[in-house]
Amino acid sequence: MATAFFSPTFTLRNSTSIPQSRRRSCLVRSSQASVAVETPSSSTTDLLLQVKDLSAVIAESKQPILKGVNLTVRHGEVHAVMGKNGSGKSTFAKVLAGHPDYEVTGGSVLYKGLDLLEMEPEERATAGLFMSFQSPVEIPGVSNIDFLNMAYNARRRKLGLPELGPIEFYGYVAPKLELVNMKIDFLNRNVNEGFSGGEKKRNEILQLAVLGAEFSILDEIDSGLDVDALQDVAKAVNGILTSKNSVLMITHYLRLLEFIKPTYIHVMENGRIVKTGDITIAKVLEKEGYKAIS
Amino acid sequence: MSISALNSYLPKPCAPSRPCARPPRATPTKLFSQPPTLASLSDPHVLRLAETLEDSIASSSCPPPLQKLRDISSQSLLTTPWPSRKDEPFRFTDTSFIRNSEVHPVTLAPTQNLDALSGLADSISPNIAIIDGYLVESLSNLSELPDGVFVGRLSDLNSKGLMDKVSKYVSNFQGDLFWSLNGVGAPDVVLVYVPEGCKVEKPLHLRFVSMNRSYKGSKSLPISNPRVLVLVEKGGDIGIVEEYVGGDGDDRCYWTNSVMEVVLSDGAKVSHSYIQTQSLGAAHVKWTSVCQGSKSVYELTEVSTGGKLSRHNVHVKQEGPDTVTELSSFHLSIGDQLQDLHSKLVLDHPRGFSRQLHKVIVAHSLGQAVFDGNVQVNREAQQTDAGQLSRSLLLEPRATVNVKPNLQIIADDVKCSHGAAISDLEEDQLFYFQARGIDKSSARKALIFSFAAEVIEQFPDATLQKKVGNVIRTLLTPALPSR
Repeated sequence: MATAFFSPTFTLRNSTSIPQSRRRSCLVRSSQASVAVETPSSSTTDLLLQVKDLSAVIAESKQPILKGVNLTVRHGEVHAVMGKNGSGKSTFAKVLAGHPDYEVTGGSVLYKGLDLLEMEPEERATAGLFMSFQSPVEIPGVSNIDFLNMAYNARRRKLGLPELGPIEFYGYVAPKLELVNMKIDFLNRNVNEGFSGGEKKRNEILQLAVLGAEFSILDEIDSGLDVDALQDVAKAVNGILTSKNSVLMITHYLRLLEFIKPTYIHVMENGRIVKTGDITIAKVLEKEGYKAIS
Repeated sequence: MSISALNSYLPKPCAPSRPCARPPRATPTKLFSQPPTLASLSDPHVLRLAETLEDSIASSSCPPPLQKLRDISSQSLLTTPWPSRKDEPFRFTDTSFIRNSEVHPVTLAPTQNLDALSGLADSISPNIAIIDGYLVESLSNLSELPDGVFVGRLSDLNSKGLMDKVSKYVSNFQGDLFWSLNGVGAPDVVLVYVPEGCKVEKPLHLRFVSMNRSYKGSKSLPISNPRVLVLVEKGGDIGIVEEYVGGDGDDRCYWTNSVMEVVLSDGAKVSHSYIQTQSLGAAHVKWTSVCQGSKSVYELTEVSTGGKLSRHNVHVKQEGPDTVTELSSFHLSIGDQLQDLHSKLVLDHPRGFSRQLHKVIVAHSLGQAVFDGNVQVNREAQQTDAGQLSRSLLLEPRATVNVKPNLQIIADDVKCSHGAAISDLEEDQLFYFQARGIDKSSARKALIFSFAAEVIEQFPDATLQKKVGNVIRTLLTPALPSR
């Protein structure tokens, strides 16, 4: 494998060579693009996430899954990771979020200048890292609003802000429901319990909208969604994108990338990122499959 | 015939020759050392206890059904030994704590101390107070019951017709030793009668309070034997909240030996909430026996947290087709205590429906829980839909649970499911909280509470849900790691 050619450093340098304005314009809506142009920043302070040679195994079986992942994400960028089933995409997302099923065996991850791998999952979350789960777990007995309130207050404590009581929080959260096109009774249901596939995904995005995030990892947020639901979800994601916030999407399909325009597309294979490029990669994949790439 | 009369037939040396707690059962000489006749089946300890209970109750002018109950119970006590761990229903349930105590019946000394209880009277729903097994009018409020509904002592019942009906239902059922001890020791029967087609809007709150409590280590164990019969005629509908308290949170000792029988005629509905938060030094033994006519609906929701030894025996018999039974229980063992649920559900008719959910948390290394859940789907019970699920959460090393779900299915066209899981908290659920910024200990707390909430949410009354929820939350707080 041509590791040198596809190395992360390459990706990083390549990305910086793209003019700032062009990067923006393909990103999001024009208003935000203009903001981005107004605040050009130097390449060092611009860094949000820097993954170097990350390798990880399944904690129980020690089976290697990630075999040297390199990725750099700057503020305001949208990245997409594609790849065959079993190539390590979801593992990569979970390792970044700190899932206990995986054990990091090598490499480093810098997030906002901090060693991400040293942080507890909840510290990562309160530091603005958000991962939407591919299949969110059901939590019977805990209502959606209580769960959101707990999470939101954890974030506020971290920021040194006073916590919100149930009534204040209700006032804060209720308008957010419109973002994901859900009715108010959604809040009183137990977390993900008996939710349809689409409702679960909307709920993940609702959490993102309520908690906010500087770096969101959206793991197959489009799977199992019909076109309308996909549009709602994409609209909500676009709504929370700013010049500062970055997104890493994991997807199999071009259609999501047509709603949320990525700055870069990475192709993952056998635990590594083997190719990086723009939207054209996704188009080739859609037409000809992964054979065309490898 | 009374116990004392029969007791005189016992060979005299038998009782005095056993100053020690129990005979050496394991030794092979045991067979020969026991007298071979009636006495070989009698347990002197049980007989003495029965005699004490008999002596404690007023024998004057007792209504015929109650007399019948006492006779049947005395009779059965003659051949019922104290249960040992060798008896299957008590395999995991050690009753020696009761066996080794000096049990004495409570005779109610009215008015004294009762003022302190007046705060208990909740004016919202119709309610009665049963103090140490005795109904106390001054603390009860039954003003809101519809016409035709009777709630009160059997001995205060004037209607001959109703008395005859009650007689029919008295003790067709055979329970265990504790059932019979209650039959002998119950000072009266509290009758709840709902006439045909009558829907009682507000739930009836039965508050059982144990006032006589001994100090821990005193060996003395005051016993009370409350007994309730709920009779709901065709199409009748009532909600019952059965709540046991007494020295909540402390470790005072007493023994509540309670029985409730529920009879549902065709199309009747009973929604039964049962809450037990007695002291951590108490013995709480409870029988719930239910007979369901066709198309009747019986829903039981139970939360038990109190008692050093707490045992609930539930026996439900579906006696007609299209009958619905739903049982949900949550048990919590936060100290050196045993929480036991023995349930038996017998389906004998077509298209029966049953759901049972049993959940238990053992949050102490000396804590123990027992579940024996039997479901019988007999030959005639075709198109039965029966489901049973048991989930146990063990939060401490050496915390123990003994679970025995068992389904006996003879009918061949049925849908039956059962499952039992014993675990710590789900890692995936914990991680979901953490991934949203909630620290592990808060997450554990929320998840442990949510485990109980699934059952608490089954209480039909929202106020009750809240009240019980708060009790559970408080009890669980010290058991949880601090932040």
